Amino acid sequence: MIKFSNVSLIYPQSTKTVLEDLSCEIQEGEMVLVMGATGSGKSSLLRLVNGLVPHHTGGILAGDIEVDGISTRSVRPGSLAHLVGIVGQNPINGFVTDIVEEELAFGMESLNIPHDVMRKRIEEVLDLLGLHSVRNRNIATLSGGEQQRLAIGTALVMNPKVLVLDEPTSALDPIAAEEVLSVLHRLVHDLSVTVIIAEHRLERVIQFVDRIIYIEGNGETSIGSAEDILARSTLVPPIIRLARALNLQEIGTSVREVRRLTSHLREIDIPQSQSTSHDRDDVSFKKIVTVTKASISYGEKLALKEITTQIGVGEIVAVMGRNGAGKSSMLEMIVGLRKPSRGSVEVLERDPSALTGRDRRRTIGYVPQEPSDLLYLPSVDEECHQADSDNSLHPGTTFNFLGRLVPNISGNTHPNDLSEGQRLALVLSIVLSSSPELLVLDEPTRGLDYQAKNLFMLSLKEYAGKFGHPVILATHDVELVAELADRVIFIAEGEIVADDNTLDVLLSSPAFAPQVAKVMSPKPWLTVDDVISAIGMEK
Amino acid sequence: MTSPLHPLTLWIWALLMAIGVVTLDNSWVALSVVGLAVVLFLIRSDGAPWNATFWWSIRIAIAIILIRITIGVLIGVPIPGTTLFSIPQLGLPQWMPGIRIGGDVTLERLSSSVHEGVIIATMIILFGAASALTSPHKLLRVLPVHIYEIGVTLVIATSVFPQLAQSLQRIRSAQKLRGIERISLRTLALPLLEQSLSRSLQLAESMESRGFGVHGKRSRYRPAPWKMLDTSVVVAALSFSIVMVVQ
Repeated sequence: MIKFSNVSLIYPQSTKTVLEDLSCEIQEGEMVLVMGATGSGKSSLLRLVNGLVPHHTGGILAGDIEVDGISTRSVRPGSLAHLVGIVGQNPINGFVTDIVEEELAFGMESLNIPHDVMRKRIEEVLDLLGLHSVRNRNIATLSGGEQQRLAIGTALVMNPKVLVLDEPTSALDPIAAEEVLSVLHRLVHDLSVTVIIAEHRLERVIQFVDRIIYIEGNGETSIGSAEDILARSTLVPPIIRLARALNLQEIGTSVREVRRLTSHLREIDIPQSQSTSHDRDDVSFKKIVTVTKASISYGEKLALKEITTQIGVGEIVAVMGRNGAGKSSMLEMIVGLRKPSRGSVEVLERDPSALTGRDRRRTIGYVPQEPSDLLYLPSVDEECHQADSDNSLHPGTTFNFLGRLVPNISGNTHPNDLSEGQRLALVLSIVLSSSPELLVLDEPTRGLDYQAKNLFMLSLKEYAGKFGHPVILATHDVELVAELADRVIFIAEGEIVADDNTLDVLLSSPAFAPQVAKVMSPKPWLTVDDVISAIGMEK
Repeated sequence: MTSPLHPLTLWIWALLMAIGVVTLDNSWVALSVVGLAVVLFLIRSDGAPWNATFWWSIRIAIAIILIRITIGVLIGVPIPGTTLFSIPQLGLPQWMPGIRIGGDVTLERLSSSVHEGVIIATMIILFGAASALTSPHKLLRVLPVHIYEIGVTLVIATSVFPQLAQSLQRIRSAQKLRGIERISLRTLALPLLEQSLSRSLQLAESMESRGFGVHGKRSRYRPAPWKMLDTSVVVAALSFSIVMVVQ
């Protein structure tokens, strides 16, 4: 179906080859995962398939890519529209019209497909993706999961033989992600669509894929079955880490397989260590953030309903919940961007919305969903200097801190040209340079690979542990929460439905349980380290 | 639920009405046309996001009338007649005859400024109503194929504005949290430009990979039929403008 022959790709004004001499063939009805570190060229590889690279982006391409016998060199991406459907990283930016049905029709109208065919295909796709109930809705009012399914729909109505998806689940909560992936699974199995998908959160997709293309950096790639590639790659999901840590002979890619391989471990009787739940009314529990019966409304709609919670010294609190549950509203309220319409919020006994300038920097550090919103200078060096002088630090302090997070970062780089992980590290260094009493992060790990995520977790743990400053983060990433957070606040429809230590909250809901917990259930272990230390105790 | 009009109907209506108003040049007729536009808007608005355009056009129209009056009263060629009140006149050098700043304000001067303001304001409100009541996306659909691509560019350009406002607000609030209190072009322009550029690129990419512009012809999923109601609206506006022109 797709044939890469000796493909090499390099972008102008770049010294690094993105791909070098990649040759492989992808069969009809195969599901292939493209994995690699952040900024390694996954998106470029995906966009080679329909010729967006190099036709749309520029770049020097050697070798040839054939899709169903057509060379992408010879035609523009538009001429492959009936053959290849592509879904970008942020589907909302790719929507052309404003009504669901018209958006689905757009591509077919361009190809001058007759009206009756359009009607039929749109009905089919609405059925397949479960979008019937929203067919006449304005796209802007859809939830993240619905938008993602619509984006897949806009590609599917063209009856493509190949579907290319760039991080289709990165913005979705675990449940919506599962919905999207099961749709893809069905397409592969029922309609023999060839699916190529790039994803960082391997734990979400790994059980569905047939083969992996692993971009190792510096242009090197390897192709093989999921087991082969994962057995030696540095980027691995938690279940593979578990298998490695336990020295299992085989590795498995699904929870079921690994459960079978580890059944002996669950039979050992291990005395449960008493989890010490924080008593938040305790006198020794020093409160930094106090939210009392706070509500937020957008016009008619209540985003938060009478929320009451307290966050104390040194706590790392994860705020979880489905897309649109009110996580961001809660964070914005705590950092003082949004005043509660009723109730009150206090950070260190002050109103966060009244803080300004240096006072604010010293009290609350905030990393927004788009970290680049905070950056406005043309180079990493200048951003760091600015942070130093803002906080009257010794020149170079911020840059040194950044260097500890991501070594080999060049000071002359434009913040735009950094990879997602580097950019997050830069923003984090700037925010932490004023050593705020409270750190708040909104979806910090979107687009981060496992290594970048590890670094990020270490620096947060250090910050919370060493200075006793609390950290609040909103995230969909259950694995991150399992490794990092002490406590989870679970929000549904603007109300707190659970607020307890991480173990209890994550284990109580199967959809939000991390992989290791699913494998080891009913044992209360969330991470590889939990398992090792529990078993180690036994030995 | 009002039955949908053809996307072009109201634009043709606004054009014909505008021709009539300009030819007759009468404030009272213009004001009644504005009244008609307001009634039309109230009947036909359906809560779509572009409905807000109408209130903006009214605000702009009022602003234009006010500016026209202020300028008319303060500057310009005096019109003799009933003096209403006097404001101190600025002495201008000899080589600028016929122009004055300040001085006597006559009833005639005032009414002619108001009149001019009202005519311009009417134009703006007429087209404001047309654009507020027609979905830009639907309008795009009925454009002939040759100008379709230009139309798409325009619609995308206009749809970028709300997004731009959104980004701007987000960046501002994020930066306030970094303790940047002063709004400066430098701190806003770079992130804003970067975001809007990357958005437009992504949109262009998505359109390209969905086959936009590959075929010379486009089929239509929801054809916009021209109905009796459309004909009657256009005929009414046409007769109005003919009557006005003939007078």
